[in-house]
Order: sequence, then C-alpha cells, then structure tokens
Amino acid sequence: MKIDTTVHSGYTAISIAGEIDMYSSPALRDTLLTMAKKKEAIVIINLKDVKYIDSSGIATFVEALKKMLSYGGKLKMAQVPDRVMEIFNFSKLDKVFDIYGSIEDAANS
Amino acid sequence: MENAIEVKDLVTFYGERQILKGISFAIPSGTTTVIVGGSGCGKTTLLKHLIGLLRPASGSIHIHGNDIAAMNDVSLDEYRKKMGVLFQGAALLNSMTLAENVALPLKEHTKLKESVIDIIVRMKLDLVGLSGFGEFYPAQLSGGMKKRAGIARAMAMDPGVLYFDEPSAGLDPVTAAGLDELILRLHRVFKMTVVVVTHELPSIFTIADYVVMLDKGDVAFVGKLEDFKLSEKPIVRTFLERRPEEEVYSPDNYFKIITGA
Repeated sequence: MKIDTTVHSGYTAISIAGEIDMYSSPALRDTLLTMAKKKEAIVIINLKDVKYIDSSGIATFVEALKKMLSYGGKLKMAQVPDRVMEIFNFSKLDKVFDIYGSIEDAANS
Repeated sequence: MENAIEVKDLVTFYGERQILKGISFAIPSGTTTVIVGGSGCGKTTLLKHLIGLLRPASGSIHIHGNDIAAMNDVSLDEYRKKMGVLFQGAALLNSMTLAENVALPLKEHTKLKESVIDIIVRMKLDLVGLSGFGEFYPAQLSGGMKKRAGIARAMAMDPGVLYFDEPSAGLDPVTAAGLDELILRLHRVFKMTVVVVTHELPSIFTIADYVVMLDKGDVAFVGKLEDFKLSEKPIVRTFLERRPEEEVYSPDNYFKIITGA
C-alpha cells in the first residue's frame, strides 16, 4: 500500500494505492490519526487506485471519522471503486461516509 | 475459471479402515460448493482435511496453489489465518462474550489496535444480524443466534475461503432458511469461496453453485448444481429423491453378524 498526502488550499488530500489489509492498515491509521490530532478541517481520501480493502481498512476510516467529527472536521471519500463501494453499501457505510465522484466535487461540496 | 481448491488422490484411514479412497476433484474460485452425501460417506472427514485438522495418508490438497498436506505446522498456521470455519456446534467459547469471541482471532493474529478491533467486531456482528448482542454470552443465545455468532467469528479475519460444517444441523426450517440467505449474501458481497458440508436438500438448492458428492469414500459426482439435478447416476437420484438405500445384508449375512459366527 502506498499513501500520498498533498496539502491544498482548504483541504488535505490523501491518495491511497494498492491493498489496505490487516498488515498495511496500521500505517494508514497513523496517517489519519495524525491529521485528526492536528485538527485538519477537511480530509479527502482518494480511493481510485485501491485494489482491495478489508475490514481493518474500513474500521480505520470509521475510527478516523469518529475522531474528526468530535472537533467538527470532515472526512470525505472520493473515486470509490465499484468493488469497494459494494462493501460500503453492504456494511451500510455509504450512509456513514460522504462519498463523491471526484476530488474536485468533494472539495467544492 | 481458476480453482481455489484442488484435491488429488486423497487417501485417509481411521485405524485400519479406509475412509477416503483416493478421491480427486477441484472447486472453482468464488463459488459456493456443497459437499454432500449420506451419513458416513466421509464428507466431514474431507472437511477436516481441507481445514488442516487431519493429515492424509497420501495425496495432495492444493488451496490457492499451496499443498497444505505437505506443509509444516508453521505454514499450516499461516494458512489457517486466511480461512474461516463455522463448526457444527458453532464452537464459541462459553466463558467469553460474543464480542470477545469475535475479537479473539484478531487479537491473536494481528497487531491491530483495540479501538480498530472493537469497530471490526461491531461490523461483523451487524453483518450477521447480531448488533447489540456483543455483551451476551453464548449460553444466553438461541441455536440460530449461536450459528450467526460463529459466522461472525469465522469472518473476523476476512477469509478467502469460508467453510461450514452442517450449518443447518439442529435448527428449525425457518431459522435454517435464514442462515442459507445469510450465506448467500455474504458470498455475493465478499466474493469468497464458500464450502458447505451438508445433506439438507433445501440448503443445497438455495446456496450451491457447485456440488461434490461422496459415496462410501469415493467421489460420486462433481459439477454444477444444474447438472447435479439432471444427473441420471443412480446414487445421485437416490439422494435427490430421498430413497432409502437397498438392504446391504442378506438374512444369512445378518445371522452371522449378530451371532458373531
């Protein structure tokens, strides 16, 4: 798994590539909790190049969202692949996360 | 389609009695395959080999390309982390709550933080319709709920292959049908290879894509469910039409058996 963080005006984008699984998700958790610690207002996760996400990856996003909501921050998802979206839908997480078609849509919402 | 499981010339004995007589078959990836056959045909023994609980006398069992029959104990432990099993009696630990049961494999086999594990446990219990029951103990649940909790635990590590040993055993027809629906939904969404040992015809017709039928330690049929239903093989017709098997003993033989002569 590769994590690429870029700071933009008004938001921080985190692009993830590869597989988010039980071995790689702790690194993702470190990145997201660092954002939450800094009280980043808007974090947009670009999932376009994610090939696979397991329960630990989803739980990591849920934990980060909970922490960010506690100070009024927003965690948005963009370009969610169909396969990942199917799991979000089944787990009712499509109701939990704000999901957008593109980073621009997420930034402008 | 790629095969998830390939069994070749598998032979096993209990003492001197040969249980599996050199069976060979393959299970395609991403299917729900049922292993069927009458009582004593060797299906539970086969399942025990597939999950690495028993070692064969000879033959190979390739799971996603790796021969588990030839693995050492360390490699076999690694393989077991990638599979889930629902045992017949659910096999929950009675001294632990449901949440603790589901969390157990994650705590034992991963370095995930407690907060992440807590969320995974809630997600898994919700998947099987047991939200809010995390603090209950197994003794406080019905048979159907225990099976669902067992599935939640089997799913904890996001296995690539999920095995069920007679999931409907001991359940009323309505609860059993609910469990079949759950197996179907999990399979559809998570695209896992699912292997179910059963002899329940309604379950077979509801969940199976693929059928492996055993008879007295041999493979009697391997193929798609639709071909199974249409098969003209006498052993398949006997099973599907629920006909009793023919009497094995002649009166003379029976006399010898009961007198020990």
